[in-house]
Amino acid sequence: MATPVLICDDSSFARKQMARALPKNWDVEITFACNGEEAIQVIKEGKGEVVFLDLTMPVMDGYETLAYIKKNELNACVIVVSGDIQPEARAEVTQLGALEFIKKPISTDKAAEVLTKFGIL
Amino acid sequence: MNQSVSVSITEDQRDCYQEISNVAMGQAADLLARLLGVKVILPIPVVNLIEVNELRMALSGIENSDTVSGVCQGFIGNAISGEALLIFNDTSFSDISSLLQYKGVLDAALELELLMDVANILIGACLRGIGEQLDVNFSQGHPVVLGQHVNLNDLLKSDNYRWTKTLAIEINYKIEGYDINCDLLILFTEDAIDVLNRKVDYLLED
Repeated sequence: MATPVLICDDSSFARKQMARALPKNWDVEITFACNGEEAIQVIKEGKGEVVFLDLTMPVMDGYETLAYIKKNELNACVIVVSGDIQPEARAEVTQLGALEFIKKPISTDKAAEVLTKFGIL
Repeated sequence: MNQSVSVSITEDQRDCYQEISNVAMGQAADLLARLLGVKVILPIPVVNLIEVNELRMALSGIENSDTVSGVCQGFIGNAISGEALLIFNDTSFSDISSLLQYKGVLDAALELELLMDVANILIGACLRGIGEQLDVNFSQGHPVVLGQHVNLNDLLKSDNYRWTKTLAIEINYKIEGYDINCDLLILFTEDAIDVLNRKVDYLLED
């Protein structure tokens, strides 16, 4: 069965870049969201088992989204994909329950490596 | 200079420039954070196609009442040229000098040194980041002081641009817990916009 994957980023270019970076042999059903609020809706509908989440977004940012997911115990494996690569950002999202922190721009190799590392692929 | 052809950018292109800037600005901020031992608060970069005489409006992060100091640095690579401006709110310097543990009196000479140090880091890293994503190798010229302790309008006036329209990327950096505020402005020349748009279109292709 196809894995429900959610890509959440306010930039349409970044969403596209992320979708392209997913392994070609991975059977997925991709849903897109532009901010955290939309992402949470999608996750509640069961369409975000694996989530690629940006941090800097309007309406509801990545940190707030992670905090909500954690507090409400939503079922989602979140991988943060961020342009903010300061050590503090990584520490903070890990504490908020993100599986991994990937630097933008995302590459196909990096995506495959992380998915394999966590046994998702 | 081709004045008759009007340059423009589409919404998709603007989004792409913004995302590229976002990544580049993050890399630059990471270096600054490590240098100063602080957390840099990252904004959403603002990308606009504007008239050069509208530059003041692009600098939303700095108030009219503030006095500022700034440097500019030209760059060129693969037929894409422009200028990078780094403008500091003058109140920033005392915090920067203490974070860098500079000894001695904070005079205009030391402020200039600090300004040049930070400019080298931020401008260099940002251009490298943009260049990597667009597959362009930018060479940078020598930094030039635009002014110290002046108001923003005077600082921008002192510069004589030979082009009218510019693709402007504004990044306003603030430092958490400190009174440090600076605006990094990357200005691409009118002639560069066509080349840049083609590069961005290539990235946007399916």
